[in-house]
Order: sequence, then structure tokens, then C-alpha cells
Amino acid sequence: MIRKGVEKMNKFTKLAGIAVLAVTVAMPLAASAGDRSVKVLGWGAKSGPLKSFGVNSEAALRSAIAQINAAGGVKLGDGSSAPLEVVSYEDSACKKDQNIAILRKTASTTDAIVGMGATCSGSCQAMFGVLQKKIGDASDSGVQMPILSDTCIRPGLAKISEWAFRNVPNEVAMYDQLFAWLRSENPGVKTFSGGTETDQGHSFITHTAIIVQAAVRHGFEWVGPSVPELGPDVKQGMKELQAAAKTQHWLMGDTNYSVQVRKIKKQDPDMILVSSHPFSACGFLKEMKRQKVNQKLLVGLTSSASQETLNGCMSAAEGLIIPTGFAPITPEAVSANEIVSKAGGFLDLHSAAAWENAYLVKTAVEKAGISATSDTVAEDRRKFRDALASISGTAGLIGPVTRDGATGEASKPYVYVQVVNGEWKVIHDPR
Amino acid sequence: MDYYLNLINTIGIHTLLGLSAYVLLLTGQLSMAQAGFFAVGAYSASVLTVIFGWSILPAIGLAMLITGFLAFLVGFPALRVRGLMLVVATLAFGEFVRLFFHNFRWRVTQDGVEVGPDGTMGFSEIRYFAEHGWTSWEVASLIWIFVIIVMALIWWADQTRSGAVLRAVGEDELAAGTVGIDVTVVKVAAMTAGGVIAGLGGSLYAHQITMLDHHAFTVLLATFAIAYPILGGVSNVFGTLVAVIFIQGLLVEGLRFLGDWRMLLFGALIVVVMNLKPRGLFDSQTLRWIKNVLRLRLSRRLS
Amino acid sequence: MDDFWFEFVEITQSVGDGFLFGSTYALIGIGFTLIFGAMGKLNIAYAATAIAGAYSSLAVFMLFDVSLVIIFIVSAICSAILGYLVYLACFRFIPVHNHLAALMASVGGLFFIDEGIVHATRGSPLNFPSMFSEAYFEVGPYGIRGDLLFVFFIGLISTGVLLYVLFRTRLGLATRAVAQQDVAARLCGMSIHSTNSTTFAVAGLLGGIAGAMTAAAVGILSPVMMLPLTIKGLIVTVIGGLGSIPGAIIAGLFVGSFENVVMYFRGIDERDMYVVALLFIFLVFRPNGLFGKTITRD
Repeated sequence: MIRKGVEKMNKFTKLAGIAVLAVTVAMPLAASAGDRSVKVLGWGAKSGPLKSFGVNSEAALRSAIAQINAAGGVKLGDGSSAPLEVVSYEDSACKKDQNIAILRKTASTTDAIVGMGATCSGSCQAMFGVLQKKIGDASDSGVQMPILSDTCIRPGLAKISEWAFRNVPNEVAMYDQLFAWLRSENPGVKTFSGGTETDQGHSFITHTAIIVQAAVRHGFEWVGPSVPELGPDVKQGMKELQAAAKTQHWLMGDTNYSVQVRKIKKQDPDMILVSSHPFSACGFLKEMKRQKVNQKLLVGLTSSASQETLNGCMSAAEGLIIPTGFAPITPEAVSANEIVSKAGGFLDLHSAAAWENAYLVKTAVEKAGISATSDTVAEDRRKFRDALASISGTAGLIGPVTRDGATGEASKPYVYVQVVNGEWKVIHDPR
Repeated sequence: MDYYLNLINTIGIHTLLGLSAYVLLLTGQLSMAQAGFFAVGAYSASVLTVIFGWSILPAIGLAMLITGFLAFLVGFPALRVRGLMLVVATLAFGEFVRLFFHNFRWRVTQDGVEVGPDGTMGFSEIRYFAEHGWTSWEVASLIWIFVIIVMALIWWADQTRSGAVLRAVGEDELAAGTVGIDVTVVKVAAMTAGGVIAGLGGSLYAHQITMLDHHAFTVLLATFAIAYPILGGVSNVFGTLVAVIFIQGLLVEGLRFLGDWRMLLFGALIVVVMNLKPRGLFDSQTLRWIKNVLRLRLSRRLS
Repeated sequence: MDDFWFEFVEITQSVGDGFLFGSTYALIGIGFTLIFGAMGKLNIAYAATAIAGAYSSLAVFMLFDVSLVIIFIVSAICSAILGYLVYLACFRFIPVHNHLAALMASVGGLFFIDEGIVHATRGSPLNFPSMFSEAYFEVGPYGIRGDLLFVFFIGLISTGVLLYVLFRTRLGLATRAVAQQDVAARLCGMSIHSTNSTTFAVAGLLGGIAGAMTAAAVGILSPVMMLPLTIKGLIVTVIGGLGSIPGAIIAGLFVGSFENVVMYFRGIDERDMYVVALLFIFLVFRPNGLFGKTITRD
């Protein structure tokens, strides 16, 4: 009797499964009925270890758009006003195939004129490769929809396609100015060393191509393993540095940093670089504390200027200095911070870009003069892209942001923050 | 339409991945190495189309050969380990392949731009399809022609003596040996076939996704590879296809509306399905049910 | 000569650090090997339940500010409960001879626990309190981490207790009987299910201690720790021999030291490749691991 019951249940499960599958896959992403609205679709990592990125960016984006709509929405090409609408904010889990699926879903089944997000640099790299490379190239069957990203921070991604745009900080400029300032403020600091996580593309390349060279450029002496090719220009000596310093680097999920810290401690540097994301940065910093490493300055990676670092190692991170594109130091930044916190997210240098993107979209929409109807989606996307590429500057949360239409990249104002008594404090404002 | 075609392509590619593990599962070898072979196929084909400018079909062909050869080499030491030891050994092999690609660099300059695999930074802009103006329909057709051929080959083999031989080795190696089956040949052949199929899947995957890095080929993908034949059941190839549709179609794409609860449900549903249907979604019970339904239909039509 | 002495100190220091850290691998390996030895099945969700136990104890610590000893105990208990739940969900109702379905169900369990932790913590790494984190003994040119020594001793004690339970109690007798011949055990009136669930719970206790130990040794908890720990645990189990507890211990300590030495010489990019190569060497020369039982037909 039980077996019959189980068999019947199996049949039922099968039918139910097929029904659910048919319904859900065929279900287009929720479209809004009624008046015209300018639609955007966002996505990011809402599951997996980078969940906070997606949660924060969604909160920031939705909050900013709510503010814009409360102030009257955006102007369309015919002079009327329409609200901005977030069709949905999807979970891409930082998986490349899911990012591409969402991109194609947005492009082919919704009226969204721009896709916003992605979170992980690798995912952006994959996504941008799926886009049409050059505008108007009829032989290129890539997707024709603009993407505006807030968090894919690996250097040089937007040039993969003319439909790709980013609002991420320019790390070359940030670190250059940081070390210039540190040089002038700390004449007693002469030598430096440090490490990075080698299986995370952003950390690895930023450390070995940008940060170390910036320090060299401003007169700090590298006392790690000897790298004669190392020089002041970006990427100078990068490959040799990667090879030479491999015994003081780590992986992003590592649990044991003893060998690395001991090596660096023996080099006796005045300044130490910890170029990695919160988990491994904290692991490394805690080991440094255990081995009682005495350094005068501690510099970290932009992505670690966040709450996660404080959650993981508040006391070991004491004194860590990081350049960041966001801190609540202007009235706009403070009020945005409050609004987003109420919406359940944090504003940090990543999610603040999502907030700014909403306003950037408004500017571009109004410049493009779009129709926002279902029939004009393809033209609207093209007009929007052209408008976005022609914008040379917008207002950011802590200052004006300049944009380069040719590369799709931004140049953002930044400040330097440091962990002081378990909190991030702005220690220098070069704006 | 683009979106649905993309989903169909993903299902096709993952079916190939699943089938590569399926073939091995028939001979009793649970292999976590298929993601590694998938990676080798992906990188090989991409290097050929991007760096050497080959056309897609020859690139796929050579990638399949390379992967098959590697699988052939792996097949021999794999003979020495059985059961769960093989699982761990193949898992370790898969990790070794991933770490290899973590370090793999081959950069060339084309038209002033550097292309090629760049270690941890990955291998970007594998844009053969877009550059040559392939439409979504054409890509989908290419992928599915391959999938159908592979499924047909395995299905056909299963109806002949080869299938019986494979399954005999899977059921009981000692008994199979006593009946005169050369177990070594069968197991190595299965490993090679699995490698070729995974190489094919990987080549197509690389060009669908346009960017490769070592993060794509982790233990997670290896787990998916064995999940498909286990969830689908080893009765026949359609089980694997059904399992891929279940996981990629229903769980990953279909449940998107659940937002961030989707991934929680993912694990839970796998547990539920394995408890309800331990022999797979498409086991002999299901086959019998389908046959009964068809027979009922047929008899109703005749009467 | 000075250089040689310097190198020698560095190498032995790396070995020593790795050895002590390896006790965390050893405990995870023992857990895998216990379940394999008792049931012939692989519970892939094991390392996940260990880390989940550590998370639960962290939650308790944050809520009640209890002493650090209590944290280890809470972690062990939570992990044991989780282990039992994993048994119920993934092994209890699946036909005994169906290894694949149980394996896949435990994979589902791993995904579920991983995502559950991500949900609860929003993926953020969390500070984990460690006992003796300030203790750092300088013995000549060497520095020995006091907290790792503590971790090592907890590992030794847990193993001792486990071996006592296995070989001196009725529960242990039942576990070993079921492992050797489950049909005969059933004929003798033993309940397979209650024995197996107890085995899972005991393995869970060990896992919880291992999870808390690892978290204390690193100082941080994060979901990214789960997968590498699972893989290392499996490698350690196989090198030690599936089903052998002393094997798992020795393999864990050895792998810990080995990977640190490789790190010292060859750097981060090749470290894990060497560990995998080590596994392959063992599989070639000793396919049953260090102390594996010869696999007989059953």
C-alpha cells in the first residue's frame, strides 16, 4: 500500500515538476502594465560568498530610483515625464553562464534599455564578450544592449565592447596619489613589501601591476624578493614580481598564512601591502598580529574598504589604510547612506556606484530623448548608449565624476580611509 | 527567443558534460575528472580559434582529440583505484587541471591587442560566433546536432553488445573478467570516450561564454557532471537529459523568481529528489510508466 | 654555513607550523573515514557540518558571551545534531546499497548548508575568538604558536576519546560490528539505523571540534572555507586509507607539514598541485593508503 502511495506520489511529482518547469521558464520577467516607464534591469551576486555585494547594490539602486521618481522621474524624447522602473534585480551568483543568461533574458524578453550590474569582474569579462564589439558592425552578431556596471573593478574591462560602461574607481590614480601623500606624511617610512591573493584576478593584477609600482614611483623601496625589472610605470616588472614573490602570496580561501608572514617579517619592511579581499586579508593580518610584526604603515586593496573587513578582523586591521570611492563626507553621501541603510544595505565604494548609476541613467535618458515604448526598444537602447558615451561628467556622491566615452570608464573622486578604533575614518581628503 | 536559445544551449552543453560522466558510470567508475577534461577541451578549442584563427569545426575536432588522448592516459592509473578512492583521485585530478589553468599563460598580440589565456586573469574574448555573425539559431543548431549525435551513439551502443559489455563491467568486474571481457580495455575505452565527449562539451562551452578562467572549472562543475547521470539514472541517456533540464532549466533558471531563496532550494530539492527517486528521475519505474501510458494511448486509439 | 642554518630553521619552522595546523585536517579526515568505515559511504557534507557547527558556536558566543571552552563544546554539539540531520535527510531513507544516491543527496546537503550560512551571514567573514591567541613561545630561533599547540592537544584528546569509545564501549562495538558485517549484526539484533545515526553524530562531534579549531586557528569564519577543507579532508582520508583512524591522523599531520614546506620552496601557485601529486604518488604505490584495509569482495 505504501509502495502504491509512493508510486502515485512519484507520478504526481513528475507531473507537478513538468508543470512548474513549463510555467516558470515560459514566464517572462514581470513586466509592468500601464503607463510608459523607462525600464532598467539589475543583477548581481545575491547568493554565494559575495552575497553582500548584490544585496547592497540592489538596495542602493532601488533607493536611488525611488528618489528620482519622487522628484518627478525622467524626461522622455517627447517632453513628457515617466518614472524609472527596475524590472527586477536578479541573482547572478557571480557565475558567468548565469550572467550571460540574465543578459540575454533582459535583452530579448524585456523592454529594459540598460542592464545594470554584475558584481564579479570575471562575469563582466564574459558578459562584455557576448556584446557586439563595435557599434554598427553588421557582421557581428553580439548582443546590442548597453550594460552599466557598478562593481566589476578589474582594470580595462569596458573596452571589450562599445556597449559596455562602468562606474568604477580608477585604481591607478587612487594608489598613485595615495603613495604620494604617504610619502609626504611619513618621511621615516622607506621600505615596503607585501602580498596578494593569486587566484583572484582583480587583487592579483592590481597588486602586481599598479600598487607596487605606485609605491616605487614615490620613492619607497621594495625589500621583497629581488625584482630588478620593477619600476615606476604601471605593469613594469609585473611578471617578474609575480614569479619572484610567489612564496609570500596566498589564495583567497587559505587558512594558513604562517609561511608568508614569516617571510615578510624577515624582510623587515616599514610598510606592508595586503592586497586582497576581506577574508584572506583578515587571515593575513591576524597572522601578522600573532607573529608580532611591527610595521609603520599598512595599505590594503580597495575592495576591502568595507564593513566585511571590520566584521572579520576589527582589531587586527587597526591602522589599515585604503583608498575608497565612497565615505559619508558630503551631505549627499550622508543622506544616501541613511536611505540605503533603511532599505537594508550598506553604502560602500561598490554600492555607492550603483546609486550614482541611477542618476547617470537619468542624465543619459534625458540626453538621448527616448520613446520608452515596446516598439522602440532597439532604437532606445542605441540612443541611450550613444548618449551615455557622450557624457563627459556627472555628479557623484562625493564629488564630480568624469567619464571617457571612448573607453566607457569613469574617473572618480576618492578619499583615504583608515581603520581607527574599529571603524573606518577618513584620514585624508584629496578632492 | 535569444534567451530561450541560450538556455537550450546551456542544457545541451551540460548534457554533454553529463553524458561524459554517464559513459564512465556505466562501467562502474564514478569520475570527478570530467570537469577537468571539459576545461582541457575548452582551452584547447579557444586557443585554436583565437590564437591560431582556426575555424570552429576543426578547432572542436582537435580539442576532442587532445582531450581524448589525455583521458586515455588517465584511464590507466585509474584502473588501480576503485570506488570512493577513484572519486577522490579523479577529484584531485580535476583540481590539478584547474590549478594548471590558473597558471597557464599564452599571450599573443593581434592587431595591437593582447589575447590569449593569462593565468588567473583568464582567457577573454573568445568571440568566434559573434565575430563571424552566427545567429543564435545557428549556434543552437550546432550544439544540438552534436548532442543528438552523441546521445544517438550512446543509445545505439546500449542496444548492442557494447552496451551489455560496459554494463557488465559496471555490475561486477570479476564476473565480467571470467566471461572473457577484457576489463582493462573496456574501462580505458570508457574513460577515453568520456574524455572526448567532455572535450566536445568544453569546446562549445568556451565559445558560448566567451571567457574562461580557472573559477569555471572547480569541484562544483565536477559535481554537476556526476549529478546529471546520478539524478537521471543510468537506465538510458534520456535520464541525463532530464536531469540537466531539471537542474539547469528548473532549478537554476526557472526558479529565478525566488530571488536569493533559489540557491537554498537548490540543495534541498536535490536531497528530496534523491530520497524520492534513488535510482534517478528516469529510472526503470519511470520508463515502465511511460510505456504503460503509451500503450494505453495506443490501445485506446485502436479500439 | 650561516645561510644553511637559516634555511634549516625556516624549513623546520614551516614543517612544525604545518604539523600543528594539520591536526585540523586530521580531525576532518577522521570524520570522513569513520563514516566510510562504518557505512561504506561518503558524506560530502561532512566538512560543511563541521563549519556550520563553528558558526553556531559563534552565534552563541555573540549572544551570550560565554567562555571559549563552551564554544568548542557548543560547536561539537551543534555539529553532532547537524550530522544526525544529514544522516536523516541523506542516508536514512535511501536503500543501503545505493551509494550513488546517498552521495548525491549529501552533495545536496552540502549546497544547502553552504547557502544557509551565506544567508545567515550575508556572506561576510566573521571574527572568531581564539583561545591563547596571544600565546607565542619563542624557543631559540623558533616561534611556536600557543593556540596551535592547544588545537593540537585538543585534537589528540578528541582522538583518544574517540578510540576509547570505539574500542572500549558497547556503542563502539556495535559500530564496528555494523561496519564489518551489517547482515550478521542485524541478525544479532542490532539496529543498523540507530548505530549508523550514532556514528554520524559521533563523527559530527569530532567535526564540530575540528570546525571550531580551524576557525580558532585562522581567527575568521567564512563560507569560502568549506570547499577547500572538504577537498583536503578527502585527500587526507584517502592517503591515510579509507576506514583507518590512525591513517587519517598521520596523513593529516603529514599533509599539513608537506603543504607548508612546498609553500616555502615553490610558492603559492604550485602548492596545491604538489599536494595533489602527493595523493597520486600514494595511489600509485599504496592504493589502499597508509593503513587501508585490503578491499575484499563483499
